[in-house]
Amino acid sequence: MMTTTASGAKAAFAADYDAPIPYMQRTRDYYQVLGFTPYRWAHFVEVPFTPLGMPLDRARVALITTAAPFQPGVGDQGPGAAYNAAAKFYQVYSISADTVPDLRISHVGYDRLHTTAADINTYLPLAQMKAAAAAGRFGSLAPRLHGAPTNRSHRVTIETDTPELLQRCREDGVDAAVLVPS
Amino acid sequence: MCHQTVSLAARHLEENGISTVIMGCAKDIVEYCGVPRFLFSDFPLGNSAGRPFDRESQAQTLELALRVLESAPAARTTVQSPLRWSEDAAWKCDYLDLTKLSPDKIAERKKEFDEVKSIARSKREAS
Repeated sequence: MMTTTASGAKAAFAADYDAPIPYMQRTRDYYQVLGFTPYRWAHFVEVPFTPLGMPLDRARVALITTAAPFQPGVGDQGPGAAYNAAAKFYQVYSISADTVPDLRISHVGYDRLHTTAADINTYLPLAQMKAAAAAGRFGSLAPRLHGAPTNRSHRVTIETDTPELLQRCREDGVDAAVLVPS
Repeated sequence: MCHQTVSLAARHLEENGISTVIMGCAKDIVEYCGVPRFLFSDFPLGNSAGRPFDRESQAQTLELALRVLESAPAARTTVQSPLRWSEDAAWKCDYLDLTKLSPDKIAERKKEFDEVKSIARSKREAS
């Protein structure tokens, strides 16, 4: 049964700050202090929706990641590495899902104070997806996983990269996709 | 930026008949963009697929995402994972915390940012 707490009684509320981090506000404030113009985040009223047209155990599912293939010679990309812009990539890539790819996230702004990216399974659920497919949780894993470049330019993402991702998913006969930002 | 990129990609796939689910840690960015299905883990950025070296948390996170994929009733469905990063939520106060930045540190960060932008620009132009 629901209960209410009388005013003045000790309520076991969570701490005020124990809520999802307002990343857009923090970023806006931070860059303002550094003297940069505020970034305009993508924002839409309408949201498309395609119901999964089949039971999941018959669906072919793709994995899409923002992690970057390891590039020799461009500096530290290992666990806890400082932000490494030289490790960025600017074109969609695809890798066979049969492999165990060496993908890193030193090229993006993950939370370096509280995590180190030492375990690839925290940002690339490929092993988990293989296990789930093998267990029959979904029909099959798509033959390739795809890498999406993280570009500050919405225009490049919308006009170049997302059509390319769609094209590659279609080539692979994909019914659904799991997208995982780093 | 990663969360915005995958949000835009999910929207485009969905507009073209492919169902999607995002697994992520930046709730505001994904919801502000507007996506069909989102499994939110309230973890530090970089842990969209579960806690480090914790296979159970990783399997559970994927399972929740798959359940969102197959059962979301409408667009903008967000489900929050019940998993906690740690008992103490103080880590959430640290991301880009301006109160800890001295004027010297701010100048240093600005210089670093300009350098990083210049590296990224030359990389982008070369690709």
